[in-house]
Amino acid sequence: MFRAQCSQLRKSLAAEGLVAATAPPEAAGRLEDARVRPARLLEGTALQLRPVGAATPCSGSLAFLDGVQRSELVAYAGSSPLVVAEVAAAIRRREDRRLRTIAEERLLFVAGRAASLALAGGALGGIERHLIEDDGPAHPLRDLELARRLVDRIRGNLELAVYDRFRASHSDWLLVDGSLAASPALAADPRAVGLSKSHATLPFEGEDLDLYLRLPSGYRSSMFQPAGEQAPVVAWGLRLWPFEGRDLLHGFVRLEVAPSVATTAHADEISRWVLAERTPVSADARWDRLLYGIHSVEQYLKAGMR
Amino acid sequence: MNAGNRTAPIGRVVATEQKPSTPHQFYFWAAASAPVGIGAIVRVEADGHTVHAVVTDGAAYADLLSAMHEVLASDGDPAAPLPPSARAEIRLYLASVLRHEPPEPLQPVPLASVWLATDDDVKVALRMDGYCDGDRATGVPVGVYVAGGLEAPVLLDCDFLLGPEAAHLNISGVSGLATKTSAAQFLLSSIFQTFPSHKGSIAAVCFNVKGPDLCFLDQPAALGEDDRRLYERLGLSPEPFQGVHYYAPFKADGVNLNTLRTHPSLGDCTAPLVWGLREILDYAEVVMNRDDIDAKADAFIDFLAERVVGRTFQDELLRREPFEVQTFADLEQFFRAIFDFLEAVGRGGEVWRTHHVATIRKVRNRLGNISTRAKGLVTDDGASNDLPWGAFEDRSLHVLDVAGLDPLAQDLVFARVVSRLREHLERRDLGVDHVVVFVDELNKYAPSDGPDSYVRKMLLDLSERGRYLGLVLFSAQQFRSQVMRRVVGNAGTALFGRMDPDELATPGYGTLSAATRSKLAALPKGELMLRHPHFTQPVFVRFPRPAVLTGREGVTRFPPSPDLPFADAVVRQLRTLDQDISADAVRELIHGRREDDVRRALGATRRARPDDPLSYFRSVLGRRIQTETPAERRHVVRPVPMPEDPYL
Repeated sequence: MFRAQCSQLRKSLAAEGLVAATAPPEAAGRLEDARVRPARLLEGTALQLRPVGAATPCSGSLAFLDGVQRSELVAYAGSSPLVVAEVAAAIRRREDRRLRTIAEERLLFVAGRAASLALAGGALGGIERHLIEDDGPAHPLRDLELARRLVDRIRGNLELAVYDRFRASHSDWLLVDGSLAASPALAADPRAVGLSKSHATLPFEGEDLDLYLRLPSGYRSSMFQPAGEQAPVVAWGLRLWPFEGRDLLHGFVRLEVAPSVATTAHADEISRWVLAERTPVSADARWDRLLYGIHSVEQYLKAGMR
Repeated sequence: MNAGNRTAPIGRVVATEQKPSTPHQFYFWAAASAPVGIGAIVRVEADGHTVHAVVTDGAAYADLLSAMHEVLASDGDPAAPLPPSARAEIRLYLASVLRHEPPEPLQPVPLASVWLATDDDVKVALRMDGYCDGDRATGVPVGVYVAGGLEAPVLLDCDFLLGPEAAHLNISGVSGLATKTSAAQFLLSSIFQTFPSHKGSIAAVCFNVKGPDLCFLDQPAALGEDDRRLYERLGLSPEPFQGVHYYAPFKADGVNLNTLRTHPSLGDCTAPLVWGLREILDYAEVVMNRDDIDAKADAFIDFLAERVVGRTFQDELLRREPFEVQTFADLEQFFRAIFDFLEAVGRGGEVWRTHHVATIRKVRNRLGNISTRAKGLVTDDGASNDLPWGAFEDRSLHVLDVAGLDPLAQDLVFARVVSRLREHLERRDLGVDHVVVFVDELNKYAPSDGPDSYVRKMLLDLSERGRYLGLVLFSAQQFRSQVMRRVVGNAGTALFGRMDPDELATPGYGTLSAATRSKLAALPKGELMLRHPHFTQPVFVRFPRPAVLTGREGVTRFPPSPDLPFADAVVRQLRTLDQDISADAVRELIHGRREDDVRRALGATRRARPDDPLSYFRSVLGRRIQTETPAERRHVVRPVPMPEDPYL
């Protein structure tokens, strides 16, 4: 009964010009990070929606970079938690339509306050230890959040280490899961493309945001420079799949490239080959934004976790 | 991959809760390009534990949750360009364990790397190391195991193929594609070439029951390079059989042989197969249908066999002079005398010597019927020409061409020959220690349903007890399910060629995986699935073409001669004894003679094998009696008186 009512209501609202929706897609962003940070428009004087043309696979070799992590609370030393984490990063390169791992890093470690780690003594054996840096008093929940951030950071570093190894021997295009802005080297790499599935931080507000979030399938937004990033990058939004009847963020990704190569033609070309990467569809709840190559790296890394 | 690349593993054992490794089977994944398939033998090694197994099933799947995703991603267009990335896919194989080493403790297969088998692995996996090495090896090559560039010989243990541990071979498969006859010929050749001397001597008796299948076993075939390589790999010589002896009954004329092997250039090595009353009477049960066999008929037949046929029988009531029944004609006289006697007695004359006249008439009819239905095999004159009982030679092959005979007569031949083989082997006076009997169309002789017949009972007895005697049955049929279960069940070794899918759906094949059944339904010529007591799982082998002409090739190269006129046929028969006999002399000798007399004389000459066959033939034929033409009697035929016809 309730579902039928919802369904009827969706139709009525759509008739009024609203975007009918079901549920926000998974991994659209962390709620605590949700905000608007107005970006600087780099293409035209007003935000525009641009058709990118037919999907066209990248003509050269393409590699995919991703990292995974998992952590688990294993003990409390007093009120401070000890968290064991495993992080991994890899690059899989595509050749003759087959993806093969060419670089990989894995790390198992324990995160905790210095005092907590000291109390653990020899129980941790040879596992690497990383400190939660905080001057405040221990708090079980806050320390857990600090540990999560530490794990995030270490995973990011591992990704950069893998990237360095890859770039030392390969000049292929590299499609990175996530933003390039975290690393100056990545942000400046002319053959790297960042792909963000997360839209916690949005670059526009008001009518521009409405326009940005209503990109039709196969369209991209004007290029813009996100605000407040560690390293400067140029970004644009791209709709991979029709969102109508689903959600505003369905099939919506943000692409990033180095400022040095950010031309209209280049953005269109990259958009076309990212569109081509929509298939095969990955077997994942995030399939609308998770490119198969990235999914493949993720699966590879998860399969190897202890 | 070839045999040289076998140092790298081709897969790894995987086990999940749903698909665990057990002591008898396990799963492993392999790269899509790995040269592994259904029937491949693999090895798993871990911590001093080696497992050999054969791949019995396989599956492949991709990381796709729903087929619908693929449709949506291609916009419903099958012609859409392929995605830039190929989906990850798995090739998952199920392998059934052949052998654990060490055998104890018997544990689940370890989660370790998987290798393709090498030559040595095949030997160990199939336990051939137990009987193929040493001074008293008993291996007989049956074919090569082929996988990933490896061609490893597979040998059967003749202790389990030819007795005494187990015995018999059964071959199944559809006609024309399963190469059943070729498999039997190749294996016989292999046995003749490799049967170890410490096991004694061996011969084979084959029944050619259809067309020219086995008519050219002494004629070499042109073999291809692949076949020659297989022969070499198996250590065999690609040669036709030596010491082949052909037997065929006569046609109804009694002088032309009833066989397709009559081309003059094949020589005259086909001997007539001719039996008389005595030979038939011993197997009367074969030619009488089930309803005929009762205690009364049986008793009367026994009476004939023990008291009358081949003896001097005196009964004053029948006639003054004694009976000497040697032939069907003599027997008919004997029956006639009984019936005359009973008719003369009149009332109360229904019984002669406790045998009722109805029983006597029934036996007379059935026996008399034989000489009609098996004309050419059964002679009326009592003379027989038979297999060389007691003088079988080692590695000799005796082919009885009964393809042209009535089915009843085929049954008779089969029953009598096998029974005689058995008798001689029991007495150890056949001339050889082992005899392989090859019979095609086993479903006809030992059907799974229908009335019990003498031949079926005899086959059952052979399959259950023959191995102790050295009497071994090699049989073939299209549908194993249509053969009496106990007969095929006693075959220690079984070969399966291309199979009919309906046959594969019968319960007898339930132990095979779906993939193995699919492979069997599409098996190419020259490939067989093999079961043998030492092999814990069926294995696939390839065998070379037999080095003999097939029946079809044979009749093309050696087309059968047309039937000769009576006189010419007699000349040819006599020339098998002496090539120099003059045709004109023979024609002159038999001119004007009764054909029965000529046939009788010919039979006697053939049996005696005298130094001078023509003189002997002449003497047996006897002095020519001038026929007298009675003077013509002049009669005046008077018209039959007719009643007056009012309408004339």
